[in-house]
Amino acid sequence: MMKDQLIVNRLCKQIQNKAILKDISFSASTGDIIVVSGHNGAGKTTLLRIIAGLMPKSSGEVLWNRQSYGLDHGQIGYMSHKPMLYEALSVVDNLEFFARLYGCWSADKGRELLKLTGLWLHRYEPVGVLSRGMQQRLALARVLIGAPRLLLYDEPFTGLDLEGQRLLREIIQEYQSAALQIIVTHEHSFLEGLVYREIKLMNGKMEEGALR
Amino acid sequence: MTGYGLKLWLIYKKDFLTELRTADSLLSTIIFGIMLVVIFSFAFQLTDVAVDKAFAAVLWISIFFTSTLSLQRSFANEKENDTISALLLAVGDRGCVFLAKVLANLTTLVLLAAVIVPLAWILIDVQAAGPNHFGLLLLSLLLGSWGLAAVGTLINGITVQLAGTRLLFPLLLFPLLVPVLIGSILSSTAAIQQTGASMWGWIYLLLCFDLIYTVVPLILFDYVLEG
Repeated sequence: MMKDQLIVNRLCKQIQNKAILKDISFSASTGDIIVVSGHNGAGKTTLLRIIAGLMPKSSGEVLWNRQSYGLDHGQIGYMSHKPMLYEALSVVDNLEFFARLYGCWSADKGRELLKLTGLWLHRYEPVGVLSRGMQQRLALARVLIGAPRLLLYDEPFTGLDLEGQRLLREIIQEYQSAALQIIVTHEHSFLEGLVYREIKLMNGKMEEGALR
Repeated sequence: MTGYGLKLWLIYKKDFLTELRTADSLLSTIIFGIMLVVIFSFAFQLTDVAVDKAFAAVLWISIFFTSTLSLQRSFANEKENDTISALLLAVGDRGCVFLAKVLANLTTLVLLAAVIVPLAWILIDVQAAGPNHFGLLLLSLLLGSWGLAAVGTLINGITVQLAGTRLLFPLLLFPLLVPVLIGSILSSTAAIQQTGASMWGWIYLLLCFDLIYTVVPLILFDYVLEG
């Protein structure tokens, strides 16, 4: 299978004359796990949102298989510390809604993901009544149902209990062969056992990365 | 159904379902509308204003104020949990999200009108218009609601990304809606007074306004929801 490639070249982002990202360059391909770390306000989430196509860049290039893209990418899974779910809709309605938008709904796949994330017994409950951790688990199912080839996680371990953190770590490991994954996190302990490259951001600038 | 059409339907259905399941939001909107009609109709009973002239004004002022309640929820709900990001990534087209929300808001306004119009009709004691003119009144209601939904959705999309959205929303919305309000009141009055011929100018104005405020944001919505 051909590997997908992400190239970020001299990426800059300025908001109201404040430079949020300065000259960020790196490349990665399917199978890579990139961990983005840095202090609060270093520009981690901005970098992730630009790569997702949710935010415009000020200058530079973000290429997927040597082509620029926007929201039309269609194969990006984005998990943030907010669950990004509709609280008035049930667990299964949320999952089905997003899957149908991606054009890939199948009841079997939905059942499989809900069982994997431990939400099968709660499938008819409104998301609003679920605990924060359970909402994060559903967010994970939402991300995975679209069969993404670029997985972006922004502080994904926030709100998850130990079991949820173990599940997320297993999923990151399982998807290593199928997708390129970029994880924004402060907590490196959650990533123990994974092989990843690290990008450190300091006031919007990229510091030297390391292979772990 | 095309991919675009299917996405439009899915977002529309989701928005409408969410509105129905958070019944307190829809209910509070409708109750506010009923209260406005009742208060206005009592106020007009105490004056010498001709009821057929008062009817359209009462109706549209009630719809206008009530609609701001439901319209400002449109993108605010999406922003609260950042569902807008997940939605945009799945849809891949900001214009499609805009159009679906206009349709969902239009449906809510039509539901609101379905409650308010008969109530205002009874309370203000309007003399029955002929079936032809009642059809024209419905047309005026539909076009006016379309205008409200289109402009409201656009302004909500713009203001939801800014600080002080609750203040900015009505401040930006009201001046833009003045042509819709004038066109809707005058065309509805003409329908009630059974002077159908004089209303067509206003109907065309409403139609043009609706088309402009639907098509232009559809093209430019990429810039509205950017950031």
